[in-house]
Amino acid sequence: MVDPESEPSGPAAEPEPAVSEPEPSEPEPAPAVPRLRPRSRTASAVSVFGELLITAGLVLGLFVVYSLWWTNVLADREATKQGNEVRDGWADGRGGPGALDIKNGIGFLHVPAMKNGEVLVKKGTDLKSLNNGVAGYYTDPVKSALPSAKQGNFSLAAHRDGHGAKFHNIHKLKTGDAIVFETKDTWYVYKVFKDLPQTSKYNVDVLKPIPKESGKKKPGRYLTLTTCTPLYTSDYRYIVWAELERTEKVDENRTKPDELR
Amino acid sequence: MYGWIWRHLPGNVWVRAVVALVLALAVVFVLFQYVFPWAEPILPFGDATVTGAGGRP
Repeated sequence: MVDPESEPSGPAAEPEPAVSEPEPSEPEPAPAVPRLRPRSRTASAVSVFGELLITAGLVLGLFVVYSLWWTNVLADREATKQGNEVRDGWADGRGGPGALDIKNGIGFLHVPAMKNGEVLVKKGTDLKSLNNGVAGYYTDPVKSALPSAKQGNFSLAAHRDGHGAKFHNIHKLKTGDAIVFETKDTWYVYKVFKDLPQTSKYNVDVLKPIPKESGKKKPGRYLTLTTCTPLYTSDYRYIVWAELERTEKVDENRTKPDELR
Repeated sequence: MYGWIWRHLPGNVWVRAVVALVLALAVVFVLFQYVFPWAEPILPFGDATVTGAGGRP
């Protein structure tokens, strides 16, 4: 119907009047442009409401960007800084199993199956601390044992998403996987023996020195990882238990144990 | 709303576009720097710890 030759002229010709339109001072053939008719009150209200909805959508979208990206940027930066401080402290001869450097973190968690490098571990699980991209060991509601303790449960928490997302890949951990905790003088090599993919956030029993749900009945040197699940929400908690397999002295070159090579 | 803001910006189309962009970036900055950090602990997306009844970690 329409000659293809004439088509390019159509869209090309149209912008011309559109550009000159914003100049309100120009005398216009008023009735020809219906857009300039004063809009009814209802139409204006609907229009503002629509724009508010669009704005709300954009803000929510930005919140997702903030949660899943920007907090990671900030947390990784802060965690790297704090981790370097701890390593510098170790190099200067501070810290160690006898005199744990509580304020600056007690060591680093290496979980090869999570593929996220090393995670600094500090005391306490308050949000302010965890938001710096570190893992915290519990002081409340059940006090965590330290890895150097003869027996007990070394219980840790970290974020699943945002703020470093240090335990993001916790679901990739399988029975037998290694979890290595590095202090100034010692590598603590743990092996995963049980996971609990979903439990109530009030289930503090998982932190007990002998966590019964893991199937253990006797005291031992256990490690508990906790984080939120399902991904991107925190309705429930994901738990992974591991047991100490052996310890290795850290040598001069800080040679990593076999599990990390 | 946005039309009203646009009409009240000074200058020609280019100046208005630049001012509008700066305003939009300022809004994003305020959201990321102040509003979202305030809102985040209130929203139930990031709790990672188990906790006794009642207490928020």
